Amino acid sequence: MTTLALTINGRAHGPREVRDDLTMNDFLREYLGMTGTKFGCGAAQCLSCAVIVDNPDGTSYTSPTCIVSAASFDGKAIRTVEGHAKNGELSALQKAFIDHFAFQCGYCTAGFLNEAQVLLERLAKKQVARAELEKTIAEALDGHLCRCTGYIKYHEAVRDVILADPKRYLV
Amino acid sequence: MPMQSDMRSRIFVSVSALAMSLLSGYAASQTVSNTLASPESFSSIADTEVRSAAIFTELGKVLTHPRCVNCHPAGDRPRQTDERRLHQPPVERGPDGHGTETMRCSICHQNANFDPGRVPGHPEWHIAPREMAWEGKTLAEICAQIKDPARNGGRKAEDLIHHIGTDTLVGWAWHPGFGRSAAPGTQKEAGALVDAWVKTGAACPTR
Repeated sequence: MTTLALTINGRAHGPREVRDDLTMNDFLREYLGMTGTKFGCGAAQCLSCAVIVDNPDGTSYTSPTCIVSAASFDGKAIRTVEGHAKNGELSALQKAFIDHFAFQCGYCTAGFLNEAQVLLERLAKKQVARAELEKTIAEALDGHLCRCTGYIKYHEAVRDVILADPKRYLV
Repeated sequence: MPMQSDMRSRIFVSVSALAMSLLSGYAASQTVSNTLASPESFSSIADTEVRSAAIFTELGKVLTHPRCVNCHPAGDRPRQTDERRLHQPPVERGPDGHGTETMRCSICHQNANFDPGRVPGHPEWHIAPREMAWEGKTLAEICAQIKDPARNGGRKAEDLIHHIGTDTLVGWAWHPGFGRSAAPGTQKEAGALVDAWVKTGAACPTR
C-alpha cells in the first residue's frame, strides 16, 4: 500500500492508502467516480485516458493514466475533463469541439481536450508563426486516436480557438 | 629440407594451438543462453588476445540481448519486447535521449517497473545516444565501438567495467519486469567479464 495525496482540478484529494498496483485510471474512475477520463486501449496507445499534469514551474504536459500507477501521481496537481468548464460554462475548446462536430462517440474527447488545452497554454507562453500553426496543432494532437470523425474536425476546432485570439497565440 | 620441415612443424603447432584455443573459447561460450561463463573458464586459452576476444564474445550475449539493444537503437525510435518491435506508442529520442518535449520517457516510465501496466521503469529511463547504436551491428563492430571514446560516451575501457557492472539503469536489464526476458547471467557476472576483457587487452572478436 502507498499513501497518495494529490490535487485534482484544484481540489486536494487524500492522503489515502492505495494499492501499489492501482492504476491512475482506476483511481480516478473507480475510487473517485470521475469517469470523464476514459479507459481505452489500456496500453497508452490511444491516449483517451490522458490527463493534464501541472508542473510547479507553470508548465504542463499530458500523461496517460491506464498504464501508470496512481502512486506515481503522489504530490502532483492534475486536471481532468471535469475541470474544464467553469461555473457551468464550457471552455472555448469544448464549445469549438461541439461547433465542429469534432466527436461522435466521445470516447477520445477527454484526451483530445486535455492535449489541446496544454497546447493553448504553451502557445500563450511561446507564440508560433501563423505559417507554423498547422504543423504545431498536428504535432500536438499526434498520438491521440479517434475512430469516428477522422481527426480533421478536432484539428479545425483547435485552429479556430487559436485564430480567434491571434495576439495571444501567434507572432 | 630440414628448414622447411621445421617451419611446417612450427606452423602445425601454431595452428593446433590456435584451434585448441578457439575450441576452448567455443566450449566456454556454449553455456545455456541465460547464463554467463566466468572469466576463469577461459583460462585455458593461452593466447591472451584470443582469450580476451573470447571473453568479449561471451559478454556479447548481454550486449546483443533485446534488453540492451532495444535502447541502443539504430534509429531515433527505441524498440521493445523480446521481439524487438518498434516502441508503441510511437516515441522518439528527442534532443537529449529522454523523449520529445511533449512525450518525455518519464511520463510513462516511472521510478520502478509497474507490472500492472506492463511498463518498465527507472529514474533515468532514456535511450542511448545515436553514436552508441548497437542495433544491426556485428559483435566485432560493437566491440570496436564500445572501445572508441567518440562512440562510448567518452569512457575509458576501465569506465566500462563500472558502466556495465554497476550502473543501475544497465542493471535493469537483469530485472526487467513482467513479460520480458532478463539479460543472461547477472550484472555482477557481466561486470566480471568486462573487467577480465579489459585486463586482457580489450581485444575484439573478428566478427
